[in-house]
Amino acid sequence: MRKLAQGGDFMQTGQATHGGTGAPTAERRRATEQGSETLLSLTDIRKEFPSVVALADVSFDLKRGEVHAVCGENGAGKSTLMKIISGVYTPTSGRITYKGVERQFASPLEAEQLGIAIIHQELNLVPHLTVAENIYLAREPRRSFLVDRRKLKADAKACLDRLGVAISPDRLVRELSVAQCQMVEIAKALSLNAEVLIMDEPTSSLTEQETRLLFKVIHDLKREGVGIVYISHRLDEMAEIVDRVTVLRDGRYVATDAFADTSIDQIVARMVGRSLEEKFPERTAQPTDEVIFSAENLTRRGVFSNVSFSLRRGEILGFAGLMGAGRTEVARAIFGADPLDAGRVTLEGRELSIRNPRDAIEAGLAYLSEDRKAQGLAIKMPVDANMTLANLKALSSRLGLIDFDRHARVTQDYVDLLSIKTPSIRQPVRLLSGGNQQKIIIGKWLFRKSKVMFFDEPTRGIDVGAKFAIYKIMDELAREGIGVILISSELPEILGMTDRVAVFHNGRVTGVLETARTSQEEIMRYASGFGPTQH
Amino acid sequence: MTAPKEPNSARLSDRQKDVIQKFAALGSLFVLIVVFSLTSNAFFTVNNGMTIALQVTSIALLGIGATCVIITGGIDLSVGSVLALAGVVAALLVKEAGFPVWLGMLGGILTGSLCGVVNGILITRMKLPPFIATLGMMLIARGVALQITGARAVSGLGESFGELGNGALLRIITVGDDGFPTVVFPGIPYPVILMVVIALAVSFMLNRSILGRHIYAVGSNVDAARLSGVNVTRVTSFTYILSGTLAGLTGCVLMSRLVTGQPNEGVMYELDAIASAVIGGTSLIGGVGTISGTAIGAFVIGILRNGLNMNGVSAFTQQIIIGLVILVTVWIDQLRNRR
Repeated sequence: MRKLAQGGDFMQTGQATHGGTGAPTAERRRATEQGSETLLSLTDIRKEFPSVVALADVSFDLKRGEVHAVCGENGAGKSTLMKIISGVYTPTSGRITYKGVERQFASPLEAEQLGIAIIHQELNLVPHLTVAENIYLAREPRRSFLVDRRKLKADAKACLDRLGVAISPDRLVRELSVAQCQMVEIAKALSLNAEVLIMDEPTSSLTEQETRLLFKVIHDLKREGVGIVYISHRLDEMAEIVDRVTVLRDGRYVATDAFADTSIDQIVARMVGRSLEEKFPERTAQPTDEVIFSAENLTRRGVFSNVSFSLRRGEILGFAGLMGAGRTEVARAIFGADPLDAGRVTLEGRELSIRNPRDAIEAGLAYLSEDRKAQGLAIKMPVDANMTLANLKALSSRLGLIDFDRHARVTQDYVDLLSIKTPSIRQPVRLLSGGNQQKIIIGKWLFRKSKVMFFDEPTRGIDVGAKFAIYKIMDELAREGIGVILISSELPEILGMTDRVAVFHNGRVTGVLETARTSQEEIMRYASGFGPTQH
Repeated sequence: MTAPKEPNSARLSDRQKDVIQKFAALGSLFVLIVVFSLTSNAFFTVNNGMTIALQVTSIALLGIGATCVIITGGIDLSVGSVLALAGVVAALLVKEAGFPVWLGMLGGILTGSLCGVVNGILITRMKLPPFIATLGMMLIARGVALQITGARAVSGLGESFGELGNGALLRIITVGDDGFPTVVFPGIPYPVILMVVIALAVSFMLNRSILGRHIYAVGSNVDAARLSGVNVTRVTSFTYILSGTLAGLTGCVLMSRLVTGQPNEGVMYELDAIASAVIGGTSLIGGVGTISGTAIGAFVIGILRNGLNMNGVSAFTQQIIIGLVILVTVWIDQLRNRR
């Protein structure tokens, strides 16, 4: 209950600070003037693939100078719709009108030339070229047959200045942060004179401050009359920038509303098709006094230093902090994936000596990485092979031959236990949704009889319904005596799920707080490196 | 109402595609046999069948090693040279050091394993890209083979050295009235038996054992495998050692057939091995591949060569045709995966 209340608080504060969209009246007037002009409209769009109807009767329109959010769970048809707008797919039927002219985009290039640009969740930049070279890739200014480097640099600088970001056009893209790369992508889109900008999960890997900067840029773009299609799972942020919101469910159009006339709860209810009274399950696990896992003075030179924390049986401990504060790095080092220079790690009173992930797994630790596809799953392999990968020995004869009957039974048991939705245990995991993939990874570590599990951003990119299921599983694990450490950048999640929070700043733990007695503001203060409150 | 159906139909068509792919490869093999049987009388005979099987052995043995390496996402360019080195080592051990034939050949095979061990160390410990590590080994092994033989063939090895490559099981020979022996049934050549046994064993290893599962896991996602406790170094090294060992064995078989140690044997064989794996559906990105596919690939190459020979197609044209076959099969595979 308390946590819910705090979660709600957070939403409200969120809306209070920016919810008024306290835009100056002049700006708002201009926005509404521009708002009268419809830039892009899609009517009764239908898209069929050989075996499935991906979109049916979806309509969508975008006005000049507005941010129009598209919401829906994974598989709702958001990305199909975006691919139609950006010319990747041609709709099976339906009309697309752009700036008053009915059109069929033959290719992404054609859409781009007409002023429709998309910024993908996975950024598409060439790491070994400079910022300027990336912005003008394949359309470099020329002097006869050579690249006019001076003009290239000057033009790129002009684009970046327009965004008000301080990135040198001479820097190599691989040296930039994710947020900076995103700015470069936006600059690139502007250099193409984009009038429609599609942003797919732009904040998913940004820190709070970086998100602020992005939103400022979005506000500026609105003022210049750019129409923005905005896709995000982070509904709480939307109040700040979104004008209208369209909800899709199972490939169908549900509703379009002015953001001011709807609420997050209503949007979520429309997305899932039922009302979710709670975002987080009731916590049933009771922390005991018994410490099952502790870390003392962990140090990895140049990355983190003197990190100490302890975890009690039945407890969920949160790791909060900004991106790059060292949370993931500490977990990986404990797990033996990266070297540790100093410090002691104790599990159930026994000091562990871990040199590689095998040692850690043998001891009973599990690390569920933040990037499921890159580090968590063998994506081409089927459900059963992934589920048993960490514990094949338990299913094999002494000669190392796998007992396939038991293999299938065990997999089926965990598929049932975790309610994993898959047509078969032989289904390649790449065909499953993010939530089900995450459950397979959880199943893998449960089958390994792990005693302490590190969940690194376990709900990133997972839809609302599946998030709830993952939270419930975490609570049950804690109740059964498994130590759970939750690394999360989403403060509502930290507040909603943990018993205590270790807050990281710059490779140090700046405070360990009782979740029940803290607030989002206090955690942010510790995460920014300012000490306790001076009341 | 469409949503629950989607994964189901996707799975079915996925499986169907796999079946179609297998049958397509087998089917084209069948078509080749039919076409060559029609165009040449000598093609579809027991004798020629055994000849083809014998010729395919070396491609298949090397292809089996290549498949395991490629499934992990690596490549082994050294096998052609390694087989030459292994063969001449075996020959020299028998001729110069007076080893019994079986011991000499064991020495040859172990020389191949040793090359595999070095490849494994270069790749897993020194973190060299597999292409570069095995390219280096390719030059070194060939150089050593030429050096220790003075670039001359090692001959005068005695008849027993040829037993492995030229002998056969169940060979039936009758001595006619005129006193000349007639071969009633040529028997199953030892190399063919060796190939079948090894193909079955490696296939069993890949499909049924922990090691096999780990090989696929490393190729599918090396980070996920490592974080799941797979000993990536050991698994990767194993595939190179297997590849080297099979190259050593192939070298002994080939030299035994010639009854001489030829330091120039096996040039470009690594490319045949890779081609057979690729034609059989092994993905160079890693994570995908089967021994049965590679066996089919090896037979496609072997039958093409043999059949074209019988039809009097020049060696140059043969190369062009085999090159086209590789391009077309991989292109079809790409089309299939793009869907």
